[in-house]
Amino acid sequence: MDLAALTDCFSSASCIVTQTTSGLIIGLLLFLVAAGLTLIFGVLKVVNFTHGSFYMLGAYFAYTVNNLTNSYALAVLAAAIGVGLFALFFERFFISRVYGANVLMQLLVCYAFILILDDAVKIIWGPEFKSMGMPDIFQAPPFFVAGGIIPVFYLFLIIVTLFIAVGLWLIIAYTRFGTIVRAAAVNPSMVSALGINTGLIYAAVFAIGGMLAGLAGGLAVPVRSLTAGMGFSILIESFIVTVIGGMGSIAGALIGSILIGLVRAFGSIGFPLFVEGLMFALMAIILILKPSGLLGKEG
Amino acid sequence: MSRKKIYVDRRTVLKGAATGAAATLFAPNIVTAQSKKIRIGMPTILSGRVAQLGTSSRNAVMMEVEKINAAGGLVGREVEMVIRDSKGQPQEAARVARELVNSDGCEILYDAEASSGGFAVHEVAKDLGVLCIHTNSETSSLTADPKIRIPNAFRVCRQGIHDSIAGGAYAAEIAKAKNLRNWATCSPDYAYGRDSTQTFMEYLKHFYPEAELKTEAWPKLFQPDYTEVITKVIQARPQALYTCLWGGDLTSWIDQGNIYGMFSQIQVFAVNMADYTALTTVKNLPQGIHSGNRYIKTFPNTPQNAAWADEYRSRYGEYPTNWSWQNAVGIHFLAAAAKKANSVDGTKLEEVLRGLTIESPFGTDGTVTIRAEDQTIVNYAIGWGTTIPQEPYVPEVKAISWETIFELETEWKKRNNYL
Amino acid sequence: MAPKQTTLSRDLLIAGVALLVLLILPVLWPSKALSDLIIRVSAFSLFATSLNLLVGYTGMVSFGHGMFFGFGAYCFGLSMQRLGVSIPTALLLTIALTAVLAAVVGAISIRLKEIYFAFITLAFQMLLHSLIIAWVPLTGGDQGLMGGIPRPEFLGIDFGLESNRYAFSVILMIVGLLALRHVAESPFGYTLRMIRDNPERASFLGVNVFRTKLTAFIIAGIFGAVGGVIMAMFVSGAYPEFANWTMSGEGIFMVMLGGISTFLGPTVGAVILSLLNDLITRRTEHHGIFLGVIILVFALGLRKGVTDFIADWFQARRESAGAQLKGGRQ
Repeated sequence: MDLAALTDCFSSASCIVTQTTSGLIIGLLLFLVAAGLTLIFGVLKVVNFTHGSFYMLGAYFAYTVNNLTNSYALAVLAAAIGVGLFALFFERFFISRVYGANVLMQLLVCYAFILILDDAVKIIWGPEFKSMGMPDIFQAPPFFVAGGIIPVFYLFLIIVTLFIAVGLWLIIAYTRFGTIVRAAAVNPSMVSALGINTGLIYAAVFAIGGMLAGLAGGLAVPVRSLTAGMGFSILIESFIVTVIGGMGSIAGALIGSILIGLVRAFGSIGFPLFVEGLMFALMAIILILKPSGLLGKEG
Repeated sequence: MSRKKIYVDRRTVLKGAATGAAATLFAPNIVTAQSKKIRIGMPTILSGRVAQLGTSSRNAVMMEVEKINAAGGLVGREVEMVIRDSKGQPQEAARVARELVNSDGCEILYDAEASSGGFAVHEVAKDLGVLCIHTNSETSSLTADPKIRIPNAFRVCRQGIHDSIAGGAYAAEIAKAKNLRNWATCSPDYAYGRDSTQTFMEYLKHFYPEAELKTEAWPKLFQPDYTEVITKVIQARPQALYTCLWGGDLTSWIDQGNIYGMFSQIQVFAVNMADYTALTTVKNLPQGIHSGNRYIKTFPNTPQNAAWADEYRSRYGEYPTNWSWQNAVGIHFLAAAAKKANSVDGTKLEEVLRGLTIESPFGTDGTVTIRAEDQTIVNYAIGWGTTIPQEPYVPEVKAISWETIFELETEWKKRNNYL
Repeated sequence: MAPKQTTLSRDLLIAGVALLVLLILPVLWPSKALSDLIIRVSAFSLFATSLNLLVGYTGMVSFGHGMFFGFGAYCFGLSMQRLGVSIPTALLLTIALTAVLAAVVGAISIRLKEIYFAFITLAFQMLLHSLIIAWVPLTGGDQGLMGGIPRPEFLGIDFGLESNRYAFSVILMIVGLLALRHVAESPFGYTLRMIRDNPERASFLGVNVFRTKLTAFIIAGIFGAVGGVIMAMFVSGAYPEFANWTMSGEGIFMVMLGGISTFLGPTVGAVILSLLNDLITRRTEHHGIFLGVIILVFALGLRKGVTDFIADWFQARRESAGAQLKGGRQ
């Protein structure tokens, strides 16, 4: 514990600015993965434990496409679409068979896929870790704002993530599709009684959730090394985020991610040896105070 | 009546099938001591995040064992490696190690686990009394602490304390020359990371008392995002930084540090940088990172070392890792010991291994020795240099004198009541 | 009252026979791999059966049961290493401390429903896991408890002998299973089932649901920890992996694989999973794919545990026998 360092930081403007932006960066990247997770849970009531593996697949797809085409934009696109399609396949042939089943059965199906995908990645891409490197456009010196440092690449990530967050909100709040999705989340039998194919809606939601995870993997690949099993730590963190924010609430996921980002950023100064524990403690406290998470609905 | 009969029949069939399957695994203890082949059991990590540890260890072992067998085996007995995956779980490592000895008839344990698995295998070796060679566990206490050390286990890899003394000595020289007083550390938060970082700082201050630790950051092992630790370090404005991050974590950290321009502001000392796994993977390797040698073809700069690296590369399509040379040298030691003892009996090999010196491409002066007193290798190539973004990556490695290491190591052992 | 007593004496008889068989087995078939397997199964059997007391009997899906397995292993190992007490004392100490931990974690977690209960137990487990890794001076961090767990003699029993450690593990398992069976078949056990099926009704009938669930949580925790003790004895150490989420995941798979609706289901699951693991890892390093496919076949194809099928089969037999009897009478 180093409380002196923490108070020092709070009394220095540049430290506050830098660590707050760090927290935002960490949080927004986390949000991309967590948004898909919470969306899937909100509508399908399925906890998608393979979400971390989707993120991993996105990263590997992007890595390969970037190597082939040397275009980061294409790589990210391929990651999102590729993982979206994979998620669709996974939903149609596997997870849809355990809808309504015991949560443990869903857990087992996902667990099986985590094992299979980790091994498949190892067989296809090899056991050694990989790194894609930074695309040339982002190889520029960082900005300095009020004593805080913001790298160009992270600025880009923040903008993209905010675009996606707003886009997701617009789709769900204002389109016909969004209305159906919201209705299906509350009362699926009513939706299907109105003649809407809920199976199709479920598949679409799952694919979108997968796309978001793939997108996150693709976007992050210039700064993160790739290995089989890389999805796991992401999975755990996105769980914490969704549980804190309330399972099923996208706005909650946004708040949760930024909260976790800030805890990490300032926790690393005040409690450098217990940052991970701090996140779990935060989750436990929030669950004790509000059992369904910050923006979750009771029951 | 008829139903009952069928029932009995089915039971019998099931029983028969089950016995058949179990028989292969649970055969009562086999006596293989006199068989022609000598089996060596190797538990290692072949799956999960650090599968590379196991695969590159296995590659080196197979390359060397093939040579031994081509030359007639160990005292006439062909070597058969039995290699099993522990998934990086210590309890699996313990189980696999026991199974290798108890049901597969392995006479030697070749432990290529990372540290926690290494300690688990060490306990098995203690229980079973079988000769055990540790090839990847760098934790000093494994052989330094007399309460943990056992007569039938040997370590043939780097040791944390050696790395720290060497690093401290090298860093102090640079620090003196460039007047680097303000230091930061950023290491993974687990036993190795803490140990390595603490002892490095200790020896840095020993050689250069003006050094002062300004801030320390402790990312978690396998953390994907290092943003907060990077900004924390930059905030503290240190002149120099030590890190013992390794593998994919190190490359992520470099990629993320790069976009903050960290490497142009701070002199970075990364003990695990000079390993081909990291050097060849990072696309934008900053110039001038100070690094200890893990394995590098150009240090020691001898034709033997280069030839070994090239042989490995032509065979497996990639450069050897630090784990590769350690596993190769272990096999070299076994071969030399068997020859000297004219036997592959565990106890006889143990006697010969204590204090054994062999010629090796990986030694500072062309030889490496298993020190008799604590059964761990010394005199292996250890040095530091700075990186450039293309081959040979670390053009000049400065060797650290083993005399200095020995002197300070003895002092360290005394302080820890190991002597 | 009479049928209860016969159940108890039948259980005692079965346990006695099982114990005898397990104790004689190493003499008849002296394979160390087999004894090793049985020791590990003993640990996992208690771990999975205690988890099933929550999942199957009470309907509380815990994702964090590995916390108790790990805690038990560390508690036992540390009291042996640091306090130098005898093995039974260390065992009792472990049980007492686990009860305290389970009471605290349970009191907080039980208020949460379904998936949130699952997540908060997971959170507590990961908290413990982080603590074990971070508290290096006490736990040795990721390297685990180094230097081996001492095996002092107790009442003339030399625990340095493998055969004695085997007997100790097997006895712990049988006694533990018997105790859990007794809990499951007691009125308390039937209250748990009632809470699972209809908590409101239980509450109306004057059952203190919270206290009952908490008691079940503590009992499950204790036996999970005893599983950890057996494992710690076996590997002569304790490692953070014991308290990792993967341990809970494996426990859940054992319960599901063996069958959630029978008492011995989780034990059967523990045997099958251990055997599968040993056989697959011997043959391939790509065991992830193999195990994954097996899990998929199981989850999507069978959809029930192995013993569930056996129980169903007996049920069907009994029903058809009953129908035949009826038919005969007509």
